Amino acid sequence: MFRFTSALDTLLALQEAVEAARTSDYFGRSTTSRGTFPSINLFQDGDDTVIMAEVPGVKKEEIQLQIKDNLITISGERKTDYPEKASVHRVERRGFKFNRTMKLPVKVDIEKVKADYENGILKIVMPRAESDKPKMIDIN
Amino acid sequence: MKNEEKKEITVQEKKEVQTKSEPTTPGKVYLPNTDIVETETELLVYMDMPGVGKNKLKVKLEKNVLGIEGEIDSSPYSSLKPLYTEYNIGHFSRSFELSNEIDQSGIKASMDDGVLLLTLPKVPAKQPKMITVN
Repeated sequence: MFRFTSALDTLLALQEAVEAARTSDYFGRSTTSRGTFPSINLFQDGDDTVIMAEVPGVKKEEIQLQIKDNLITISGERKTDYPEKASVHRVERRGFKFNRTMKLPVKVDIEKVKADYENGILKIVMPRAESDKPKMIDIN
Repeated sequence: MKNEEKKEITVQEKKEVQTKSEPTTPGKVYLPNTDIVETETELLVYMDMPGVGKNKLKVKLEKNVLGIEGEIDSSPYSSLKPLYTEYNIGHFSRSFELSNEIDQSGIKASMDDGVLLLTLPKVPAKQPKMITVN
């Protein structure tokens, strides 16, 4: 029987799932400024909220991350530098300063937020605050 | 409008690779945004390939066509459930035709923060050939 190998199957399934979430109204009516840099993807991993952003060419030291309550701000600068006296054939990449703030619909435990940066992808893992987690109520 | 320092930041939508032949692997493949600049001695190619590790990059040269393929690792996403998305995730692929001016044996590649830099040295300008008259 014909089968895809699992790794490729996963990527295709992932791409379809990501595409399907494009029209989600996760942020509700709060301003998310969709269409500004950097583009973000927001995932759920158990109780954690995970934000990923593609910021290729930005140095780790040039990214600033700020969280206050449920407001998260990503800012920094993307530079596209060439050697002096270079003549330009084709320019598709752009350099600029960026600053983007999002208001999450969940409360985050700020002390436990972790961020790492690898291969141009910023990943922010934000555990949900205990006080924000739903409580099970026993019915007598 | 005056030439202001502040540039408008709009997101560049990722472009999907359009090919005549169908790829053998399922899934979307994207075109990396590319800058090409030329100095006196070399051609520099910068490509945005976020998520591609050094060991997942293939640069091949066949005849005069330089082909670049970058694979992303989808395994970190396996436990993640997308809630809100603005861009899709996929491998990258793009190829360029090189002119004869490039010294194909001296091509170098490096990868930093998701940006690939290819250094293509130019063949030293040929000296005009002197022909002696007998």
